[in-house]
Amino acid sequence: MVPDAAIAKLKERFSGLQLMEPAPVKGHLSVKLSGPSKLIGVIKMLKDELGYEFLDFITAVDWKGPVDLKGYIVNPNPNPFMPEGVRSQMISEPPTPGFPYREAIEVIYALSNWAAKSRIFVRVETTRGDPRVPSLIFLWKGADWQEREIFDLLGVVFEGHPNLKKILTPDFIKGHPLRKDYVHIKDKYD
Amino acid sequence: MTDLKTDTMFVNMGPQHPSTHGVLRLGLTLSGEIIVKAEPDIGYLHRGTEKLAELRGYHQCVVMTDRWDYVSAMPNNLVFCLAAEKLMNLEISSRANYLRVLMCEINRIASHLLFLGTYGIDIGAYTPFLYAFREREMVLDLFEMACGARTTFNYIRIGGVSADLPQGWTEKCREFLNYFKGKIREYDDLLTYNPIFLDRTKTVGILSKETALDWGLTGPNLRGSGVPYDVRKTDPYCVYDKLDFDVCVGETGSCWDRYHVRVLEMTQSIRIVEQCLGQLPAGDVMAKGVAKIPKPPAGEAYAHVEASRGDLGIYLVADGSSAPYRLHARAPSYINLAVLQEILTGLKLADVIAILGSTDIVLGEVDR
Repeated sequence: MVPDAAIAKLKERFSGLQLMEPAPVKGHLSVKLSGPSKLIGVIKMLKDELGYEFLDFITAVDWKGPVDLKGYIVNPNPNPFMPEGVRSQMISEPPTPGFPYREAIEVIYALSNWAAKSRIFVRVETTRGDPRVPSLIFLWKGADWQEREIFDLLGVVFEGHPNLKKILTPDFIKGHPLRKDYVHIKDKYD
Repeated sequence: MTDLKTDTMFVNMGPQHPSTHGVLRLGLTLSGEIIVKAEPDIGYLHRGTEKLAELRGYHQCVVMTDRWDYVSAMPNNLVFCLAAEKLMNLEISSRANYLRVLMCEINRIASHLLFLGTYGIDIGAYTPFLYAFREREMVLDLFEMACGARTTFNYIRIGGVSADLPQGWTEKCREFLNYFKGKIREYDDLLTYNPIFLDRTKTVGILSKETALDWGLTGPNLRGSGVPYDVRKTDPYCVYDKLDFDVCVGETGSCWDRYHVRVLEMTQSIRIVEQCLGQLPAGDVMAKGVAKIPKPPAGEAYAHVEASRGDLGIYLVADGSSAPYRLHARAPSYINLAVLQEILTGLKLADVIAILGSTDIVLGEVDR
């Protein structure tokens, strides 16, 4: 199945599906869904009918944009080795004007079709307040830990996941570290 | 007999256990000797590098990538640089590309040697470890000559590599290759075809093609099950399309197959390194005009390479500032480790070490 034909077939069956052009990730197809409700259908069709059988990875991006963090390290030690012009490590970059920051978390699924040498990024946005997307664990068991990682680090709830609990961060960490507004609370190891 | 009370038992293996290769905890529920449920518990080495990257410049991020898979750090450097270069539209010189492939391949040899040695120890054969580390030491010496570091290199930089090869390096590398070719035969005699080793591994931990693909396994673990997927062939990067090598696959997907694929891969790596040394062109090793504080235009990039443990990918988002907006690493060890939940179930406790060792995980990469 050539990639273009795959996209045409997808568009035919699902409305609200948008092929992103130019592709955000150079050299790979990207489709954006209007909402999480169509996700299972689209992914299932890609897997069963269009040959995208391998789940490459799942990731998510918090699009809130840089937040002025007032973390626990208020006055970091001066660093004599820092090159000129580089900012202190605990201060995040200022927001770039014109960049589409928004109150959303985007979950990104990368699927591979090895026969056609094609990779497709399926992107779906969800709210930052109550991020929910359906779990893909019944399609690929490999989704298990990757979904748990996103749940742990970004707080996205994968509905239908049988074992959705923290995986990387310790139990006493509150919040989701990869969110842009995460503030670390000083613990006994700091 | 009917009123005999039976119960399951919970065994906590790790996080400080010599056979877990780092800080992995396995929560095993046993019924007698049989495993009913296996739960790998990770996160003991989580350093939050994906978050740290959001507060650091692109050149600083290369240093952090070394700390993921510290046993084979060159491919980690490479994959981040490839992704960053895609964002910055940099052209890499031919010599730098050859040097990158060269270093990645001798790093693969070092990594597989470490696997071979420690896997032998896991199973109860101590001697191969000493042999493997003798040769690994020579590879580390080569790295030390080229970049000053033995395990965490920071050698591959955005735009090329940090330094050209020092005088006498190629001769020393050829010397090593000639010496090493005969050694694989020695490992075969000592370990690969050792009857006790075969008994412990040949019929244990069988992973079918379907299970491996379902769990998203890559690298030698997937090839051990007979799927010839190798990023170097399917999606060639750097100069792999100009080099001649074979993709090694196993037959049944047993522990021994996963082990043997790695041994075969070492011979292929020797071939690749020899070709690189023969074809190595002259020229610069660093692209011109790489900024000290790069600010790539807003965009996204995905790059992946065949690291020693599988398909290592980097998804990078830039928003136009001097730090990545988001960095996601598709860490092969993390994805490969999850399969333990399935394959350990129903086996005996004594086989846990054989199977865990054969998946060849590095906890630095699992936890990131």
